[in-house]
Amino acid sequence: MIELKNICKDYVVGNETIRILHDISLTIKDKEFVGIMGSSGSGKSTLMHIMGFLDTPTKGTILLDSKDVSRLSDDELSQVRNEYVGFVFQQFNLINNLTVLENVMLPAIYSRKRFKYSIRKKALELLRRFNILERKDYLPNKISGGQQQRVAIARALIMNPKIIFADEPTGNLDSKNGEEIINLLSELNRDFGVTIVIVTHEKYIANKTKRQLFIKDGTLVKK
Amino acid sequence: MNYIIYLIKSSLEDFRRNKVRTFLTSLGILIGVLSVILLVSFGLGLKKYINQQFESLAPNLLRVVPGKIFAGGSFRAGPGSLGTIRFDEKDIQRIKRIKNLDYTIPTLTKTITVRAGRNSELTDFFSSSEDLFSALNIEAEYGEIFAKADVAKKNKIAVLGPKIAEKLFGDSRAAVGNNIKIENQSFKAIGVTKSKGGGGFGGPDFDSYIYIPYKAGYIFDPDKKFIAIIAKVNSEKNIDQAKRDIEEVMLTRYSEDDFSVIKQTDLLSAITSIFSIINLVLVAIAAISLIVGGIGIMNITYATVTERIKEIGIRRAIGARKSDILIQFLAESVILSLFGGIVGLALAWIVVFFVQRVFPAYINIPTIALALGVSSAIGVIFGVFPAKKAADLSPIDAIRYE
Ligand SMILES: Nc1ncnc2c1ncn2[C@@H]1O[C@H](COP(=O)(O)OP(=O)(O)O)[C@@H](O)[C@H]1O
Ligand SMILES: [Mg+2]
Repeated sequence: MIELKNICKDYVVGNETIRILHDISLTIKDKEFVGIMGSSGSGKSTLMHIMGFLDTPTKGTILLDSKDVSRLSDDELSQVRNEYVGFVFQQFNLINNLTVLENVMLPAIYSRKRFKYSIRKKALELLRRFNILERKDYLPNKISGGQQQRVAIARALIMNPKIIFADEPTGNLDSKNGEEIINLLSELNRDFGVTIVIVTHEKYIANKTKRQLFIKDGTLVKK
Repeated sequence: MNYIIYLIKSSLEDFRRNKVRTFLTSLGILIGVLSVILLVSFGLGLKKYINQQFESLAPNLLRVVPGKIFAGGSFRAGPGSLGTIRFDEKDIQRIKRIKNLDYTIPTLTKTITVRAGRNSELTDFFSSSEDLFSALNIEAEYGEIFAKADVAKKNKIAVLGPKIAEKLFGDSRAAVGNNIKIENQSFKAIGVTKSKGGGGFGGPDFDSYIYIPYKAGYIFDPDKKFIAIIAKVNSEKNIDQAKRDIEEVMLTRYSEDDFSVIKQTDLLSAITSIFSIINLVLVAIAAISLIVGGIGIMNITYATVTERIKEIGIRRAIGARKSDILIQFLAESVILSLFGGIVGLALAWIVVFFVQRVFPAYINIPTIALALGVSSAIGVIFGVFPAKKAADLSPIDAIRYE
């Protein structure tokens, strides 16, 4: 579904150019459950942002369903993020001005699609399934971290994306809540066939995924 | 629809949290709109007031005056301006022959000192014929007005406006039958007119005039000349024809630049156009405060954009386009500005409500539309720069921003 070919990413710091990702090629197939592992600063998040069309590579090509995305306009990339991709971040990244329910519905507000179903009903259904329905009218900073991350997953799911990228989704949670989140993501993959890519540096999480990729200093290494 | 509600809702939530800041930001627009609307409503009131003043004059009047003072409803002081020529009895006789004219009245006005006993006042006299009273609907309150025979016999008699009569005699009724001295010439006061009001901006102050038969008035002007001729047309529909006829007659003796025939409405529109210009200048000055207010909004919107870079990144990550971000921040600045505009308008309305007891200022629909339109426009104009900045942030830099 997503194919990276010879991806490089450079950052210019001062008058120095630093290469963060070196010639990375990989393929994520439909319905896969992939873990990306590596130490802090190795380039996991950068890679994930590139795969999720949030960032652009300095070199290399990305194919989405065999189509080169480098020619897509900014609006088209926004649409791809909106419809194909869901993000789950370490810091939850909910919008504090909006209630839980509004946060979950927000991607649909930015969509130009006509929905055959009620977005509101679907959002409520997701919240119910994730056990946070009674928090629907709360602002995100009034609920616990575990609850916030479940809201974030509900938001990532509202558009029925093909793939979810989770960047250290348990990093800000205690182990009990972290485990629940990982179980939730596994379920989504197993029961609903959502492709999931989890970035993590925790072994036990990686062990739950079906395929692991290791990054070291910006290079994919076989293990 | 949902989309707009969402955008506005998150802005409103933001404003609710920063109430003081929101209020201070709108204050500039509030003051700007308040002052502009007040000036506009006072301008409207002034126009209305001047119109009211002129309504007290009799309609269907044409004035023949020296010089070319009006061109297309506005003043134009040309080379042959005021006072170069004056009219005489011959002009009166010739104009009288024109059809559809009820009266043709010579007038000579002059500012003079008038005395009665020890009281002395500076005022204007109106040296004219008995027809003046009919043409201007002036009636006697006490005593009587002078008649045709008084003019013919050059009787040194005078009819006083109620204001000047009261100033000279304490009580206007007491004037009747007494002598007054106009520039040391003795005249007998035979009557006091009913009040006609007026005497405000641009309107003549009939209540302060002294009316004398024009042939007696010749002592003040040995050349026996007039400075204006008033012609009353029998019906409104004949005014333009009568105006042309008078011009034709006058052209046989004078050149085009020497005189003007003025309709009442010409005078009115000339005066209102002058006040409109003054008003416009004042409004333009007040509008500067709107620009200052707009800059305030721009500042705050820049600050909120910086505060919410992370939020912008999140929105972009879940699929917001540049245009969505642009509209979001534009909506914020427009709401801020419109809020200031609405409160300013409301305050102006309250002020006008109280002012109306003494002055006919008013706020009309176009003024309301102006206030709302201008404040939204300011929101857009000054919001677009920070909103553009927000929209142009790269999604990845924004979401990584801490
Ligand atoms: N905008 C940037 N400019 C310069 N360096 C950056 C930027 N973003 C990330 N980096 C650097 O790239 C490297 C990889 O970052 P990241 O992908 O976040 O690593 P990880 O998620 O594996 O911890 C880090 O050394 C980080 O400092
Ligand atoms: Mg990271």
